[in-house]
Amino acid sequence: MHEVSIAQSIIEIVSGQCRKGGYSGITSIRVRIGRASGIMPDALLFAFDAIKVESPATGAVLEIEEVCVSGRCRDCGRDFSVEEEYVLNCPLCGGPAFEIKTGREMEIIDMEVTE
Amino acid sequence: MKVKVVTKILEANDRIALENRRLFDKAGVFVVNLMSAPGAGKTSVLEKTLAQGTGLRIGVIEGDIAGSDDAERIEKFGIPVVQINTGGACHLDANMIYEALGDLPLAGLDLLFIENVGNLVCPAEFKVGEDMKVMLLSVTEGHDKPLKYPLMFQESSALILNKMDLVPHTDVDISKIRKDALSLNPALKIFEVSCRTGEGIGEWAAWLGGQARKG
Repeated sequence: MHEVSIAQSIIEIVSGQCRKGGYSGITSIRVRIGRASGIMPDALLFAFDAIKVESPATGAVLEIEEVCVSGRCRDCGRDFSVEEEYVLNCPLCGGPAFEIKTGREMEIIDMEVTE
Repeated sequence: MKVKVVTKILEANDRIALENRRLFDKAGVFVVNLMSAPGAGKTSVLEKTLAQGTGLRIGVIEGDIAGSDDAERIEKFGIPVVQINTGGACHLDANMIYEALGDLPLAGLDLLFIENVGNLVCPAEFKVGEDMKVMLLSVTEGHDKPLKYPLMFQESSALILNKMDLVPHTDVDISKIRKDALSLNPALKIFEVSCRTGEGIGEWAAWLGGQARKG
């Protein structure tokens, strides 16, 4: 729901780096978004394309790498990964004790620029 | 040419939230970020908490997309209150709070409530410099909410179940809310209250006062 704010932050960060490096423009940006981060990829793409105009990212394509929610069970010791946005019990043994390792990511990996 | 960026997208917000937190700590103010869906009763819970009395000097920041109805309700208690209108944004962010701080006598407060924009999704993602997040769920919203909006339940230290007086008129399963919410967040402290009857407000206010005094 706050994809516009997220798109805005992405554009601010990459525009800053683009100016600092003296590049002429950005052609693509790769971001990593966890499934449990509350961000809908389609909505983020839509927001990004709507607000990128008049920034150094105006010609850029946003590439989203989704990250599944994964963790390790403290009972059976095995690693798991699920399609849902949350984990209530270990999907392998049903145990209630586990630690979540991935799924909340919201970061920019890299960008492709023209000099 | 490829350029490594490796930056958290909300880094700028998190940095300002840290600065807010530093200012709160310096002034000795305990800060609660109060979140819920629209109409769950955030302002009513604040009113009841203020009427109950906690022995603390309390200030309030009201966040709404538009209007100042909530701030006017709080103003009647004669305490410092600032209304933020987000002008469309679905959540408060750290910078909005930073800009509101100049209008609050921070050094004269023990506890600051930040009433977030009514929304079960976005406010959970944006830190504002709070010590603790508290969420409200009114029983009429239904028992499916913890699993539909897991992030909010995972991020909160306490869950206030409001409108408990309406339970007999609905099919809501309070034990399911408790079970799912605690599965998502085993440390969650749950209070059952009714702003209408006053049930549970005393217990909530006493716990909150204890948390604020602990800092």
